[in-house]
Amino acid sequence: MNVLLAVILILAAISALGVVFSSKTIYSALSLVLTVALLAAVFLVLNAQFLFVVQLIVYAGAVMVLFVFIIALLDPTAEDRPRLFDPRLILGVLAVAGLCTAVFIAARNDVTYDTACTTQAVTCMHGYTVGSLTATGDLSADPFHTFGFPENAVDRAGNVQTLANQIFHTYVLPFEITSLLLLVAAVGAVYLTRRVAVGPRRDPQAEERWRDELVEGGE
Amino acid sequence: MTLSQSMFPWILLTAAFLFTLGALGVLIRRNPLVVFMCIELMLNAVNLALVGYSSYLNSEEGQVFAFMVIVVAAAEVVVGLGLLTRVFSIGRELDVDDLDEMKQ
Repeated sequence: MNVLLAVILILAAISALGVVFSSKTIYSALSLVLTVALLAAVFLVLNAQFLFVVQLIVYAGAVMVLFVFIIALLDPTAEDRPRLFDPRLILGVLAVAGLCTAVFIAARNDVTYDTACTTQAVTCMHGYTVGSLTATGDLSADPFHTFGFPENAVDRAGNVQTLANQIFHTYVLPFEITSLLLLVAAVGAVYLTRRVAVGPRRDPQAEERWRDELVEGGE
Repeated sequence: MTLSQSMFPWILLTAAFLFTLGALGVLIRRNPLVVFMCIELMLNAVNLALVGYSSYLNSEEGQVFAFMVIVVAAAEVVVGLGLLTRVFSIGRELDVDDLDEMKQ
């Protein structure tokens, strides 16, 4: 299973390279579909069945279909080569390399993982050190640490049931705020595409007037 | 013992790599559609790290947060692509170097 996971991770990294360095937009989109599907497979291996299904339906299904649809609508033949040998590219690569190095240094210096946990997962599941704060032993007695289900309990209840328990009890307020966010996004999308659909496109003069208005507004 | 717990560092490494690639793509690509895809890549990398930690710590909380991230990403894509169709419909070229009125 570890070999399978390693292969999936390597393939995901390669297809992610395809997202960034493809010359055509549609190839980027298809690479992203592959990356998303491979990450869904990783979720399945990591015992997150619910997220596996959500990832496939929402990302590989809805979001990527929307992307491909918009690409086909706007610029099916557009070529966009990455800006190689551009001074800004060098600046960007330096910034990204710095960011990545900072993450790795922080990970190496501040967080050390107790290797004993690989054999005694349930009994010392909190045996990790963050900075100077050492957290070993039983944190589940602390009411602020609600994580740390014993694994067999998760297996007995099932991933969807335990996740539903978390979402609808502990995190019910963020969940409701999420529904508000979706409502705002839906209203915003309808507003943004409204005039395009019904108005100016059918009437060239009105479109001209509207464009002038927008340009004046923009300046 | 959780499945694949010894693979945890590699999962984190892959997540960092995907996030870095996404950030690089946002910086070097000009097509706003590709920029959006790179943002999706970064969000997916964060999801991978969250689920990896969730599996490593035998906790379900990381998966709850990953779920929220997926919802936010879907909302972001809807609004972003709506903006792009509007930009396209007024006859502007889709190029993030051209669309810089808000800098002025």
